[in-house]
Amino acid sequence: MMRLFTCAPTTVCLYITFCLSILAVTFATDGVNSQEAARDFFTKRIGQENGSNHTNNWAVLVCSSRYWFNYRHMANALGMYRTVKRLGIPDSNIILMLADDVACNTRNKFPGTVFSNQGRHLDLYGENIEVDYRGYEVTVENFIRVLTGRMDASVPRSKRLLTDDRSNIFVYMTGHGGNEFLKFQDNEEISAFDIADAFEQMWQKKRYNEIFLMVDTCQANTMFSKIYSPNVLATGSSELGENSYSYENDADVGVAVIDTFTHYILEFMEEINKTSQLTMQDLFNTYSFEKIKSTPGVRSDLFSRPLDRTLITDFFGGVARAELVDENASVEDSSPTINVDEPSSASAEDVPSDHTFARSHSANNITHADLRHSAMAGKESSWPGLLKQFRAWGSVAVVGGVTGWIFMSR
Amino acid sequence: MDKSHYGSRNPSELPFESPFLRRCILAAYWALVLVALPAWWHTTSIERLPLPMSQVMAQTKREIEFPLNIRLSSAVDGVDADAVAHELERSLRSRLSSQLFVLPTGLNDVSVSSEPGSYWVKLTDGVQESVVEENVLQHRWDVRDSTASSTLANRLAALLSPYSEHAHAEQHEHVVSKYASRYHIAFTLLNEDAASGKSALSWQIREALQRIMRPVFKRLGPLHNFTIESQVQFHAPLAFTPTAVDVNGTEVYGLTPEDLTVFVNSAEWTLSSGVTNDPILHFLLFVPSAFRRPLHILDSAGTLTRSHSFILPQWGGVVIYNPPPETQGNFHILSSQLDSILPIFRHQLLSLLGVPRLPSGVKSVSGSLSTWQIDALLRRRAHENAREAQQTLGSIVKLVEQIENMPVGKDVKRDVEDALSALDQAFEAALISPKLAFDHSSRALTLTSRAFFNPGMLALLYFPPEHRLAVYTPLFASATVPLIVAVIREFAAWRKQRKTAASSGIADITSVGYCPSSATFDHNDVITKVGLNQR
Repeated sequence: MMRLFTCAPTTVCLYITFCLSILAVTFATDGVNSQEAARDFFTKRIGQENGSNHTNNWAVLVCSSRYWFNYRHMANALGMYRTVKRLGIPDSNIILMLADDVACNTRNKFPGTVFSNQGRHLDLYGENIEVDYRGYEVTVENFIRVLTGRMDASVPRSKRLLTDDRSNIFVYMTGHGGNEFLKFQDNEEISAFDIADAFEQMWQKKRYNEIFLMVDTCQANTMFSKIYSPNVLATGSSELGENSYSYENDADVGVAVIDTFTHYILEFMEEINKTSQLTMQDLFNTYSFEKIKSTPGVRSDLFSRPLDRTLITDFFGGVARAELVDENASVEDSSPTINVDEPSSASAEDVPSDHTFARSHSANNITHADLRHSAMAGKESSWPGLLKQFRAWGSVAVVGGVTGWIFMSR
Repeated sequence: MDKSHYGSRNPSELPFESPFLRRCILAAYWALVLVALPAWWHTTSIERLPLPMSQVMAQTKREIEFPLNIRLSSAVDGVDADAVAHELERSLRSRLSSQLFVLPTGLNDVSVSSEPGSYWVKLTDGVQESVVEENVLQHRWDVRDSTASSTLANRLAALLSPYSEHAHAEQHEHVVSKYASRYHIAFTLLNEDAASGKSALSWQIREALQRIMRPVFKRLGPLHNFTIESQVQFHAPLAFTPTAVDVNGTEVYGLTPEDLTVFVNSAEWTLSSGVTNDPILHFLLFVPSAFRRPLHILDSAGTLTRSHSFILPQWGGVVIYNPPPETQGNFHILSSQLDSILPIFRHQLLSLLGVPRLPSGVKSVSGSLSTWQIDALLRRRAHENAREAQQTLGSIVKLVEQIENMPVGKDVKRDVEDALSALDQAFEAALISPKLAFDHSSRALTLTSRAFFNPGMLALLYFPPEHRLAVYTPLFASATVPLIVAVIREFAAWRKQRKTAASSGIADITSVGYCPSSATFDHNDVITKVGLNQR
């Protein structure tokens, strides 16, 4: 940022502006926090029971950086890919985005492989891997198109996130980032605001039941700070101002092979099988600064279920339920019947009508809460927005004024 | 020499330093800026056409309603159709939320059966059980039974509104897949390991489908368009090992409830061709390896259940097929053998598509789906589609308002308007026929989804104001600041010049009053002096 500033004519005035803007930012975030608290109140009120009611699982895994020296980011994403696949998410439900192909890099001494540990015990590339977006296809635009579903009609099924309101989505992102942004390739970046808006659009179109966002990058916790849509659980590798570090080098590969945060997550996941009953809380309890060398963050205020009731497999696993079919009914009688107890005449009059009333009532509640929610979100977006506009134009005026004064005084 | 001479010349004598020329140049710059401003504004602003917001808001509050017309006739002696109809209307109205009329009618009124959207209840004492055929319910009416009227009311309520009436049906809600106008149906014969011998090498699925599934597909034709594919796989390993169970001294294999949830080994089974973006429903016939037969399903207590099939909600169904133990070598599954399997698939398909079941005590005459069931499904889907279309419209409007840099193009606007009119039509058609209402509502849903998923609706990325400042300042500050300063200086010079002109004008007014050209010369001198003083 500062380097950009130096090309402006007068660094001093820009420094003043910079200070002014920092002041304004701190004021703005204070306002956001209090409003967030109020919104949590509403989202928690409309939360459902403890078990997840999803019927399908999806995963979006993004490695956003290029080049051989970013080998570890590819390994991060592939490690997650291997885990979710092992735990039962089919390839058709995994969108894997890899910005580079280190396995086929000429510098790779072990062609066609990607390892995530010293000594190269486990080849993540394996025999059966399906990369949906690769190389220069991994752009901010494509990522947002995947999430929001706004695609050209010609895009094939394998590149689409075909989720509905009963889908749990695991979103994993890794790369180089900073305060509220993550760099894609070497020329663009996605900001925390873009992710928040994309999630909101998904929520509005009912494209998810729950989302688990995991970010492994420097200052990763800032990436989920702007999210405002309900039912999103998020975790990141490091706080604002902290770096995320790589875990280990392999002397033969010649570069770092995995990042610390992802390494410990994957290590935890190795203990888990498809029918595991471990919860998200168990995962978060394993976080420690000593191991990870940074402060991992968890954001659960938007999430409506308690973390100790949220299974790891709700996000990393396949489908959760199966129902037996009563074969006799379906075979004997070609038009299927069910045995319903005939309600006795007294209760039959009251119960169903009450029941329908209760249902419509609860539906109303939700829409009201939603409306309030959106109204608040609207207000919130307009206030700091105005402030920011004002700040931007104000500082342009200051710069212009000072430069003009210098010109005039000569 | 020449150069120094040139440099020492009086600037006022240089042709390009004449104030007029200088001001013209300055004005030209400013004219260019002013002319370019609208173009710059136009090319950098996002096209955001206004959406019919008030209409959308009004539309989202509407509820689709289907009036129900029931004709009642009685062939039982001593039963007054009028009284029964009145009683029935009263008790049904209190239970169902929709408008409902029960009209007594003659026994052989032919016009009734052809009327769309109306149902006919015939009371007889000729049948053992209630029977439905098309839109007619033949109900056994026992004069001596005091609860006869409430039984009939229960049956009718269950037939007309099967989704809200059964507590049982509520639990199955999550099984029903979301509405889509096109479905891909994939039938797969999976051999766990054909190399182990005694495996199914082929199946006569085409004939069996033709005979057993086709009537169902045909009956559901108004709702969905089905594409069917089938395949045989010879190596489909399970990702786990089934538990061995000892039953009466023989060893069998069992799948625990946890096994069922992870039964589908999607990593290694290629289940569909994936050529389509439509939702896919899978139906798997799984033949266990010869070393793991027979394979049964266990309940949570670990004992065998009689069922060999299960549904995976919104995904499809699985049937486990254990070939008879006396089977020698590989075999082919004949069409006649599929007769016991395909009805299970059909049952699973109907559950997945949300087709209501007949209430107990009611049978279908021909074995096919009755108009009562299809209509109930049509009403349900029309209701769902209309609600979803309304919500999508609402969210489009809300998002466009909320996200300031989201473009709204012509096609989005047109789709939104078309969807609004389709919804209007659906509400109107609901009074006449569920099928029409359903058609319009599904068109509304398609249009709203297309509007929402319009690729052009992708909002521009967010850039913090600092970012914009950093980009614009080097570009514009260096160009605009000299321009502004030049104007200010020129203005100051002009004012000073006017002032001196005014003071000298007062002094010379008598001598040069009638000589404006000499006054102009004076002005020039003054400006030059001012200019020199400033340097």
